[in-house]
Amino acid sequence: MSGARFRSRPSAAASLLVPLVLIAITALVGANGTPSFQGTVTLILCNLIVVIGLQVFVGNSGVYSFGQLGFATAGAYVAAFLTLPAAFALLQTPGLPDFIVDADLGPLSSTLIAAAISGLLAIVVGLPLMRTSTLAIPISTFAFLIVVYNVVGNWDRVTGGSSGLVSIPTTTSVESAGLWAGAAVVLALAFKWSASGYRLQATREDEVAARSIGIKVTRERLIAFGISGVLCGVGGALAVHQSGVLNPATFYFGATVTTMTMLVVGGARSVFGAVIGAIAIAMVNEALRGVENGASLFGAISIGEAPGLAAIGLGLILLATMIAMPNGLSGGREAGDLPWLRRLGSRTSAPLSRSHGAVATRPAGHAVKGALRAEGISIAFSGLHVLRQIDLTVEPGEALGLIGPNGAGKTTLVNVLSGFQLPDSGTVALDGVDVTGWSPARLAHDGLGRTFQAVLPFPHLSGLESVAVGAMGMGVGRRRAVAVAVDVLGRLNLLEQAALPAGSLPPGGQRLLGIARALAIQPRYLLLDEPAAGLNEAERGELGAILRGVMKDFGCGILLIEHDMSTVMELCPRVQVLDDGMTLCIGTPEEVQADPAVVESYLGSSFLAAVDA
Amino acid sequence: MTELGQNLIDALALGSLYALIALGITLVYTVMGMMNFAHGEFIMLSAYALYVFAGLPFAAAVAAALLTGIVIALLAERVAFRSVRNADLSAQLVTSLAVAAILQNVVTVAVDARAQSVETPASISESTSIGSISVPNLEFVTLGLTAIVLGCLGWLLYRTRTGLAMRAAAENFDMARLLGIRADRVIAIAFAISGVLAAAVGVLIVMQTGQVTPTMGLTPVLVGFVAVVIGGFGRMFGAVIGGLLLGALSSLLGAYLPEGLAPFRDAIVFTFPVLILIFRPHGLLGGEIGKARV
Repeated sequence: MSGARFRSRPSAAASLLVPLVLIAITALVGANGTPSFQGTVTLILCNLIVVIGLQVFVGNSGVYSFGQLGFATAGAYVAAFLTLPAAFALLQTPGLPDFIVDADLGPLSSTLIAAAISGLLAIVVGLPLMRTSTLAIPISTFAFLIVVYNVVGNWDRVTGGSSGLVSIPTTTSVESAGLWAGAAVVLALAFKWSASGYRLQATREDEVAARSIGIKVTRERLIAFGISGVLCGVGGALAVHQSGVLNPATFYFGATVTTMTMLVVGGARSVFGAVIGAIAIAMVNEALRGVENGASLFGAISIGEAPGLAAIGLGLILLATMIAMPNGLSGGREAGDLPWLRRLGSRTSAPLSRSHGAVATRPAGHAVKGALRAEGISIAFSGLHVLRQIDLTVEPGEALGLIGPNGAGKTTLVNVLSGFQLPDSGTVALDGVDVTGWSPARLAHDGLGRTFQAVLPFPHLSGLESVAVGAMGMGVGRRRAVAVAVDVLGRLNLLEQAALPAGSLPPGGQRLLGIARALAIQPRYLLLDEPAAGLNEAERGELGAILRGVMKDFGCGILLIEHDMSTVMELCPRVQVLDDGMTLCIGTPEEVQADPAVVESYLGSSFLAAVDA
Repeated sequence: MTELGQNLIDALALGSLYALIALGITLVYTVMGMMNFAHGEFIMLSAYALYVFAGLPFAAAVAAALLTGIVIALLAERVAFRSVRNADLSAQLVTSLAVAAILQNVVTVAVDARAQSVETPASISESTSIGSISVPNLEFVTLGLTAIVLGCLGWLLYRTRTGLAMRAAAENFDMARLLGIRADRVIAIAFAISGVLAAAVGVLIVMQTGQVTPTMGLTPVLVGFVAVVIGGFGRMFGAVIGGLLLGALSSLLGAYLPEGLAPFRDAIVFTFPVLILIFRPHGLLGGEIGKARV
């Protein structure tokens, strides 16, 4: 009985080998060309490393950064400082400390140091920037790029100012650039398939849902930002040792647009996309530059010199991609996940079975400590009172039904309990500890799981990945997380569809997957926001059985918001009714249904008046 | 004292210019949720209208520039941005980056990559003395224009039906649509106004520098973006505040930075928003972005 995996071995191997082969072919073609062609191909490979660096952050986080070329600049200058022969260094960079001037390192050590410093810079810059929002990051990273450009361009005694540096040793060959590019692919895929990589991808798919399974968005983004900085630094360091010259504009706005185009055209979500995008756009770019320099096209149409033409071409390609093919050439898939390659390989992974699972339930005794208790919760949105002095208690292992007409404040209450909404007054306590104001991620780590009325799936992750990432959110390693996910999926009868992208499942399947995802964090309390909505009669019956099983096996308490009374009655011995932000009554389902106030709030007093009359 | 007064007026003038840029960007953002990178190219192309129509009387050339701003903005919306209206924030941002790259290089090919000088009326470059302070006329123009633009925009947004529709769309676009507001029209109007604002900025920049270059839109758009981030996304008032702060900071640093640090003014100016974001991750007025939506 071997452990279950996210993807079959052939698929993983293809995802790794196809980009490596593409790079090898590029390097081989380059190595057999004229010296100037060799230089061009070497620079393309350096560019490719930067694009892979961009993919690590942008592709996995879904957040665009326009500042990564700043790290390439940093890497390039550091590498140049470390390798400039002392005689040249004294002339060009008199402001550098002696030990750097005298360093004269080799290509490998200088590249490694450049990479380390770029990565460190990325962490320092990322610390404040990653705390800001998805839209503020592109802008503040661009501001960082300008800061780098400005500093490098004016720090004459160290960087040579705007005229830059010359006579840098040219030690990067096609072969070494190819090897580094291959290493970059391996590193990028290793990160993408690591627990940290999956957590970051979950934030890309849905930030709110990711936080609900304990993922700290800022932290995961920062890790990728740092790795991205390392790779961009390597690309910059290698490039400067190819061309031998460097100035502040080398990695500035133009290069930012070019590398971004490469990533987007290839398909940002996959490393494969980064590689084919970089190679394809580089070829188009070279062709356009040929035209730009006045070469004739197909021997017939002759165009005069027109600088800027290549950039227009790239801009048009980028625009067309965004409009017509937003997932890029690769469709955002790794090579091993491409449909035609799957058919070619025909060897698919063995179907998942329960035997691959580990027991996801918490050991007895560990599970139950104290109640989930809310006291005096009040909240108003711009003067409108949504919740007024609400008290609510879910005892360990208990199922409490929360019902009420639309707009009664049920979802708001769940948001307060799970940390997504700070109440104006009142406290939330777990095990007697005041947890009011705790972040959703911290509450998830403390055993609070939830689902969403709007489901919030991770559309581009498979069902198995969607659920396993829940366990990873708790800090569980990848192998163990897969086992937990298989167990949970098995309990919910979802194993058959587990290999499909979550976005392709029918609404009912996605809703169940949302429950499985919340269970994967092994919660002590599970808050379910209308789990039966959109399910058909049969599925609803099944859901009741599943939830009963969950309560028994996981020993977790459940707060169930549901309009379907049969599900509530079947599951919940105790029901709390909300209306207009206030608790109308608490009791057994039968008591609640017999309460005239409840009937009135659901059906309206005019209805009662009509019945009486 | 005199020097301080002079510097303060300079700071206010530059701040006004930045506020105009930030307003143009915010206006489009509120109705469409897109940070428009091509706004800088709207500025640049309007400025080139002054260069192309240099033979006309200056007032006529300015009118041509304003018209250019409107036409380019509407065209960009129709051809490029309408197709990505429902895409996510990042996709829209990258799309506008593509439009910016295209427009910038079209001008490079059509005119030249190098700067072209543009004649402006001599009276603009003269100064007027108020007491002991001598104020460049251009600063009066800038301040006056900003006041007029803010007044008109306020009137449009708060006193007309169109403005009501735009504010409703900014509040909740889908709901506004359901209530019968025509999305195409509201967005087109927002782009047209944003084009006018860009053109006004373009004209002011040309009056100050006396030249046009294909890359002249890059710095303004980044300044505008940063001002928007500082102010908090989607807040008109925040955009004005952000622009004023950034302009004032840049101007005052220019006046008071010691000689050794003077070349690094831009670096300091662009580090400033980061400092604000450390303490207020969602800007001074805290826009809606990043707030939990469940």
